[in-house]
Amino acid sequence: MREARVERPGGAVLGGAEAVDVDGPDRTGTPPTGQQDRGGEALAFHGSSKPPPSILKAGTSVAVVLCLATALVHVLLVFLHVAPPNPLSQQYSRQVGAWVFPLFEQNWRLFAPDPDSVNRQISARTMHTTPDGTAQVSGWFDLTAVDNSAVKHNAFPSHTAQNMLRRAWSSYLETHGGDDQPRSQRALMVQQYLTNIAADRIAAHRGGSFESVQLRVVTVPIAAPAAAGVPGPSAAAAPKSAETRYLPWWKVASHGN
Amino acid sequence: METEQAQTRCGRTPEPADAGMSRRVPEGIGALLVVLTERPVSLYAAAVLRIGYGLLYLAFLLREFPHRDEIWGPGSPWTPELATQLFGQTGWASLLTLSDSRAYFEVCYATALVTSALFMLGWRTRAVSVLFAIMVASFHARAIFMTDGGDNLVLLMAMYLVFTACGRRWSLDARRTRLRASAGEATPPPAGRAAAGLHDSRRTLTSVLHNCGMFVIAAQVCFLYGSAGLYKVQGGSWGNGTALHYVLNLDLFRPWPELSLMADEHDVLLAIACYLTVLLQVAFPFVLFGRLKYPVLTMLLGMHLGIAVLMGLPLFSGVMIIADAVFLPDRFYRSLGRLWRRTSRRDTWKTGDPPRGEPPLVPTQPAPSSH
Repeated sequence: MREARVERPGGAVLGGAEAVDVDGPDRTGTPPTGQQDRGGEALAFHGSSKPPPSILKAGTSVAVVLCLATALVHVLLVFLHVAPPNPLSQQYSRQVGAWVFPLFEQNWRLFAPDPDSVNRQISARTMHTTPDGTAQVSGWFDLTAVDNSAVKHNAFPSHTAQNMLRRAWSSYLETHGGDDQPRSQRALMVQQYLTNIAADRIAAHRGGSFESVQLRVVTVPIAAPAAAGVPGPSAAAAPKSAETRYLPWWKVASHGN
Repeated sequence: METEQAQTRCGRTPEPADAGMSRRVPEGIGALLVVLTERPVSLYAAAVLRIGYGLLYLAFLLREFPHRDEIWGPGSPWTPELATQLFGQTGWASLLTLSDSRAYFEVCYATALVTSALFMLGWRTRAVSVLFAIMVASFHARAIFMTDGGDNLVLLMAMYLVFTACGRRWSLDARRTRLRASAGEATPPPAGRAAAGLHDSRRTLTSVLHNCGMFVIAAQVCFLYGSAGLYKVQGGSWGNGTALHYVLNLDLFRPWPELSLMADEHDVLLAIACYLTVLLQVAFPFVLFGRLKYPVLTMLLGMHLGIAVLMGLPLFSGVMIIADAVFLPDRFYRSLGRLWRRTSRRDTWKTGDPPRGEPPLVPTQPAPSSH
């Protein structure tokens, strides 16, 4: 472990081509006599016959410089990544992306610019085709109600209740927009994810066999504060009353057969 | 963040890396370089980060124990195939998608539990910190569509902590070093000049890596608050003071509806809280260098405790509180350690046990530079 700690920066420095670039000016800048003098002193002091490990010293200096440079560059690129889009971040978006993605990706728009002003109630129903060819459609199963009851009176709610369906639906909105045409690979993947969530939950809660599912999303606006006459966050965009959106029937891998 | 003045070793000259440089650069920068290469700053804060994130990740894994297969396992609606497909597009990778077998997943889950616990305790910290970062990244990437801001920050911190010397204080490593020192097993001085040079280089590099890591962590927390504040400024509801009304009415973030309803009735207080939230977040990076940071950090603590209870987000809040704790100075943590020792000693007296001659938890003498 100790060795690894030393070898990682040191090895990268001594072996790397850029190490020589950084090293060159640094060493020419130092008066060569001074370097040798100090080495000589140390040599006399220790009474050893070995040559002074000046390569080690130089390597250490280079590693220090590299550490500092990396830290500064990292901080700068992360800043450009999290800051609102600006001319600088647009100009260097390729470099920023190459450095930041995927490990350092981040987004701190916590309830910003505005918190959601709607609650979404997502339900699903299933269709089963019997051997004689008739299609049987089930009643609606409220997926969101299950999440809400899992959160209620729970000091430490699970990610499965707070994040799974909520984030799957917001990803669906991002990739599909207003209609239900998947226009990208990602959109198809999110659609598959949403289908699986619905199918898994219905299979777990209600059972029964089915081959396709349909989702229904009811968007319920949160009423503006009663006291003040101030309009809501995006009064024009937010619906005044509940809106219902029906998604197409999606095939699922057979459940319950 | 502050230098650990009381614990610096005065006997050593800043000989190895920067002597040649500091002669050429102005005095101030030279001094800065000495601090940078010789003194690991905020070792206690680093230990608090290690303990905090190890504990929080352990709590997270245990909390999701009943849902582990649904979130990270082969039975997740985000199937291993979908995850692998996404990795191909984004460049992510995860240990968890290497096999679809349930047994393999259980082994990974158990490994993650053990790693988090060992990381928290500070056992062989450097090696375990690498393993912890790999584990957190693997679990994060596998369930990327189920993560929130708290998970994101844990991932970033886990990676940054690899570079810090976060096992030097309040850890099993520190305990071992202390016991070894008190038993008289002093590590022999490196024999020969080459070995001494290697020893010095390693010490310098460890310090520099640690200091750079702590700097990046501090900058990261500032960016977090700064951008959270800047984006809020752009929103109308934070400006007219109604944002928290909407937050309090989100069904998924309302574990105690009665409590949320009660808070929602005080619209003037909510408007003040809205303004205070934005103000605190935007101001955060600027107050860190003065005494004002203590009231600001206290108010942020209150804000996060409120979020934890009212919104049912204890994990997210815990992650943020630990991140804030990085800005508390080492003398604060040392006095905290003294206080803890004093109360625990008093407790042992009360229970009638004779006080044992145990060495203090926090070493008053500097531990040997590397372990």
